Amino acid sequence: MKIFISIISLFFITISFAQEQSEDSSLTYKKRVLETTEIDFLSSYYTQDGDNAAVTGGIGTEKLTDFASDIVISIPLNDDDVLTINATISAYTSASSSNLNPFDNSGASSGEDDDDDDDDDDDNNSTRKLNSKLASSVTGSPWVESTGESQKDVWVNGNVGYSHSSDNRNKIWSANLNFANEYDYTSFGFGGSHTWLFNEKNTEFGVKGNAFFDTWNPEYPTELDSYLEADKNLNNGFFNNISILNQNGNVIDKDGTEVWNPNKYSYIEDKSRNTFSLSLSFSQILSKNAQFSIFLDLVQQKGWLGSPLQRVYFGDRSNFYVGNASSIPNYRSSSNKDVFQLADDIERLPSTRFKTPIGARFNYYINETFVVKTYYRYYTDNWGVDSHTAEIEVPIKITDKFTLYPTYRYYTQTAADYFAPYEENLSTQEYYTSDYDLSSFDANQYGLGLKYTDIFTKINFWKFKLKSAEIRYNHYDRSTGLASDIISLGFKYLFE
Amino acid sequence: MKKIIYIIIAGCFFTSCVAVKEYEKVNLSDPDMNLSASKSSKFETSAQLYRESASGANGGKSGGGCGCN
Repeated sequence: MKIFISIISLFFITISFAQEQSEDSSLTYKKRVLETTEIDFLSSYYTQDGDNAAVTGGIGTEKLTDFASDIVISIPLNDDDVLTINATISAYTSASSSNLNPFDNSGASSGEDDDDDDDDDDDNNSTRKLNSKLASSVTGSPWVESTGESQKDVWVNGNVGYSHSSDNRNKIWSANLNFANEYDYTSFGFGGSHTWLFNEKNTEFGVKGNAFFDTWNPEYPTELDSYLEADKNLNNGFFNNISILNQNGNVIDKDGTEVWNPNKYSYIEDKSRNTFSLSLSFSQILSKNAQFSIFLDLVQQKGWLGSPLQRVYFGDRSNFYVGNASSIPNYRSSSNKDVFQLADDIERLPSTRFKTPIGARFNYYINETFVVKTYYRYYTDNWGVDSHTAEIEVPIKITDKFTLYPTYRYYTQTAADYFAPYEENLSTQEYYTSDYDLSSFDANQYGLGLKYTDIFTKINFWKFKLKSAEIRYNHYDRSTGLASDIISLGFKYLFE
Repeated sequence: MKKIIYIIIAGCFFTSCVAVKEYEKVNLSDPDMNLSASKSSKFETSAQLYRESASGANGGKSGGGCGCN
């Protein structure tokens, strides 16, 4: 709460600074902060694959593709003020999130909105449809992409920012509002910042505060959600007419003593997820060719910090399955196409997290051809994660209009205290997850970009004058086996 | 944390010994010398935000706004 009050105070202080500045306007000539409206278009295509899907408890396909587009419009309102509008849309298809309901491929509920929010009427339709199938026809696998609604989703984000610079350009304040939405998550945020430049603009100090008030619209794994919907009766609802198999592949007696019983599972009660951050930055010019900056963030998160989609399998609980009994011995292998293990619970993580990242950039202008850009970050949080990030980019001006951008990035992190692989968490623990994003790993990223710059904006489309165009490709390898590729296209136009 | 504070204080002392004039900042004004992450790397950073536990301290987002990090 103290952080929240501090951020709100910061927001109003920045506004009061701005008012002070506007009263202090000078009649002397001053260069406009932004000469004309600028429009940035950015698109990317991202693809990944791996074998540790969190939705299926740490094993299973992580195949995902994402296509995203982003537009940023920066409008000079007068000599001092700039309005920035940013909209992003990101559409993905994901094999792992499709396995929120892994039984789609068996025809159980294909085409229905069946990802099982607890108050979703469509669940009843999908459950009835599922029950009409013979037990033997209901199959699933963590290694097979399902076909239900959760296979794909769209994330939209809108951000409006306003900045004001003082007449001598030594003080800049800004404020922003943010909104984002996806099928199971909604976010409202706002923030403000103030930057001071001094020492003949050789030194810069900035303070920024942000607050996000996010809300889950939780979706749960089909079998867990259905279990509570049927009042824990395996002869009702989703599991009626469906055979449940034990580790030996034998059909269990649902009224017997050896039954699937996810008794730790419950719907999440606190659907909020709030984030408050305070960022400090310091930049310094070292010489005519060198400058550096240091960033420090203090981030407090509260609320449901796990994901309700992500299954956990306990090592101290018996295993139960739906599907083809003969595939159970191969459950961990990608050759398993038709049996699915019923989850013991969703991941449970503490309701608070405090993150402290500190980063530094150092840029050096070698000559008219080469620039060296470096970045390092140390990160620590109270979940036990420590990480180091190191990055280097060497822009190479191959002509006066074309620049190459070879980049390399190394990342390493320790595991969160609550992480354990598939079947290695225990039901006696308070917190647990098998999300490999919280595991210990190293990652390497290699990239290359090419940028075309035309300061005279000779290429025009109607009122749009092309200032620059850029293409970037990056390949990412994680020691857990996850690999991804991303290709981005960017265009900057002046609008006159 | 103490080391970090010392580094910041040491950085502040640099301010008293260096003052590059405006007309000497030609190289520093090169767009590639910008001390913030480039706009075109936005989606790469976004992918890292989802796939890694660490975030922030890069002048950009440090959490919130998505069901990710």
